[in-house]
Parts: sequence; C-alpha cells; structure tokens
Amino acid sequence: MKLSHTALVRAPRARVWKLVTDVPAAARCVPGVAAVTPSGTGKYKGSLLVQLGPVRLVLDGDVALTATDEAAGKASVRADAKDSRLGGTVRATMDLALVDRGEDTELRITSDVQIAGRIGEFGQPVIQRKADQLMTQFAECLARTLA
Amino acid sequence: MTYDYHEPETVAAALDLLARYGEDAHFVAGATAFTLLWRQGLLRPGHVIGLRRIAALGGITSAGGALAIGATVTHRAIERSAEVAGYCPALTRTFASVATVRVRNQATLGGNLAHADPAQDPPPMLIALGAEVVAKSAAGERTIPLDELFVDVFTTSLRADEILTSVRCPALAKGTRATYLKFLPRTADDYATVSVAATLRFAEDRRVAGVRVALGGCGPTPLRARSVEAALQGAWPDPRRIADAAARIDADIAPFDDVRGSAAYKRDMARVWTERALTELVS
Repeated sequence: MKLSHTALVRAPRARVWKLVTDVPAAARCVPGVAAVTPSGTGKYKGSLLVQLGPVRLVLDGDVALTATDEAAGKASVRADAKDSRLGGTVRATMDLALVDRGEDTELRITSDVQIAGRIGEFGQPVIQRKADQLMTQFAECLARTLA
Repeated sequence: MTYDYHEPETVAAALDLLARYGEDAHFVAGATAFTLLWRQGLLRPGHVIGLRRIAALGGITSAGGALAIGATVTHRAIERSAEVAGYCPALTRTFASVATVRVRNQATLGGNLAHADPAQDPPPMLIALGAEVVAKSAAGERTIPLDELFVDVFTTSLRADEILTSVRCPALAKGTRATYLKFLPRTADDYATVSVAATLRFAEDRRVAGVRVALGGCGPTPLRARSVEAALQGAWPDPRRIADAAARIDADIAPFDDVRGSAAYKRDMARVWTERALTELVS
C-alpha cells in the first residue's frame, strides 16, 4: 500500500532536518510510540501502540535510518514490526523530503507499507485513515517541538 | 484461545467486572460484531462480559410520545415492537432492513451503536429522530446526543468505564414525516453503499418548519447533513429547491473508497439518494 503525506512545519529546514533524523527524538512525536532504544549504528528498537476502535495493536520492531542526504533534504527510514499477540507484520519504507518554504518547511513523506496477517483484515480504507491521523499528529508535534 | 465468560445480572455488577479487568475485558450482548473480530483474531480479551441477563438493559417503553429502548433489545424485537411502530414507522423499517433475520435475532441496539461501524443502518435514522444514548459508570449517568456519540471508525465517545444502557427518542412534533433509504447495489443483506435518513415537518403555509438529514456510509461516522438541512429550513420544498439542497451534500460528507464504491461514486449516490428521500417526504 502506497501512502503519501505532506505537512507544513513552522520551522526552518535545518532545524526540522536535525529533528527528523534523530530517530529517538522524532519517534517521541509519533503518537503511541513507547521506548525507542539504539540497537546499532542508525538502528533502533521500538514499540508502537495503535488503537483501532476496540482493537489494540502493539507493534514491536526495528527502525533503521537507511539513507540520509542533508544537502538534498532527503532521508529514508525502514521499519519492520510485528504484533505477536494478534499475529501480523508491518513493513514500511518511508522516504522523507524536506522542502524550504521560507520560514517554514514542507515535509513530504512517501511510504510503501506492506501489511500481512490479521492486521490486514481491517482493509485499506481504515488503515489509510489511521496512517493519515498518525502523520498529521506527527507533523503537529514536530512543529510544537521546534516552536 | 479462550476467555472467561461472565454474566452479571445488574449494571453495577457489570461495571464492577469492567473495573476489575479493565482493558482485558470486553462487553458483549448479541456478540455479532465481537464474534467476527474474535474469529479474525483481532480481539483477544481475557474476560468477556455478557450483558443479556441484565433486566434493566432490556425493554421498550413509550410515554408522552417519547420512546426508550434498552441496550440489549435485539433488532428483531425493535422491528416487531408495537411501541416502535406507533412512534415512527420509518424506525421499524430501518431495523427491518438490517442484514438478515438471523442477524437481527441476535444483534442488539446497544451493540450496534457501540460498534460504531459507519455503514450501519440504525444510527442515521436515530440521528434524524434526534435520539440520545444513556451511558452509566460508577460516577453516575449521562446522556450523549447520538450525533456526538460517533467520533471515528469503530470509535465512540463512550469512556472506557462506561456502559451504554438505553436509547431515548424524543416525542416528535405533530406531523413529522420520516424515511430511511439505503442504496444496495450488491445484495439485499449487505451494508449500504450510502444510506439516507430524514425527518421533515411542514409549517401551516407548507414551508419546511423542521428538517434533519443523516447519512450512513459517507465518512468515518454516520453524518448529519447540516448544509442540506440549512438549505431547506423555512423554504417551500419544490423539486428545484430539493435538488439544490441535495446538491449541497458534498460539504457535509467525507466518504472513502471501499468495496462498496469509490469516494466519488458515493458522493454522487449521496446526492441522488438524499434527493429521493426528501422528495418522498414532501410528496
């Protein structure tokens, strides 16, 4: 499933860059993320709680910063997680691009998400909606953190 | 995969169990939605609390033109209730249009509302009738207007420590007309692609004195069509006016693509079926 999100963060590009490429700091802006701990160079372990109505998913997994190009304002993140209680895996590749917008920065995130197992029962519309909410809250939190 | 099944006989006992087991507990009445989620492996509670033995959650009563329906009353019982038919025949037809008899014999009103699937039938009709739900917790009781109950797909404004106990429908002003239409392009027992509920009454000069329109399947929750309502309030509802009002539905809805149609198709169908519902009410 391909998802694409754009948000305007009210802070200059260099500061947004510093925050989004600091994985533990950026993760604090993702609602539902519990502890994120380093597990190697550019690699982290973490856990994300997602509530979909009565269903609670606890996604445990690895996050890695796979590429960064500060001059171009581009970074790639790979996440690999599973919910061991309900059974299901989520794999996501996210490409981030930061674009100067004067005092502000436009954050573009293109994601390719593969969902397997029971989590997939929800269907794309519900998952898409949840992803939209997470991204909106993520961008709002980045802006608040940098304000 | 197992769970402990509890059958309390009072609301207080059910709330005690909920307080004891917290997030590991799940309320069921007819268990139609729960069973699907459980069999899909999406819900794994350790404790399931069955509500059907709680007498206070059952029963249908009417008094002074208003109607109260207990949370554990089944769709079938509502469909066959003389009190409901006397209150509003369109409400009877709404419940009769849900899925199949087998489902209606099992599924309950409270379960339907707490499940909060945006494509369900009763919510738009109950919103159009101005209904509210009663929720109880250890802290007391509160009422929630139905159009404030639904906050997202499968998500309500009920708190984690609350139980939905009944639905209250207010006395309808004399001459109120009501209808519920559902668009079913696939099978008769499917969820609607879009559905429209509407109530309307005329003033003495045949202007619209009151109108409420609500839709299912047109967004993350059942939705009030306030722009459509505003375009008709106080107006003479000739066919042109109704068509213009229905065309405003775009501003009120936020459909998404799914197996029952694309978002664009649902927008078109929402307009068409809103126009049909309003035309029926003024004819």
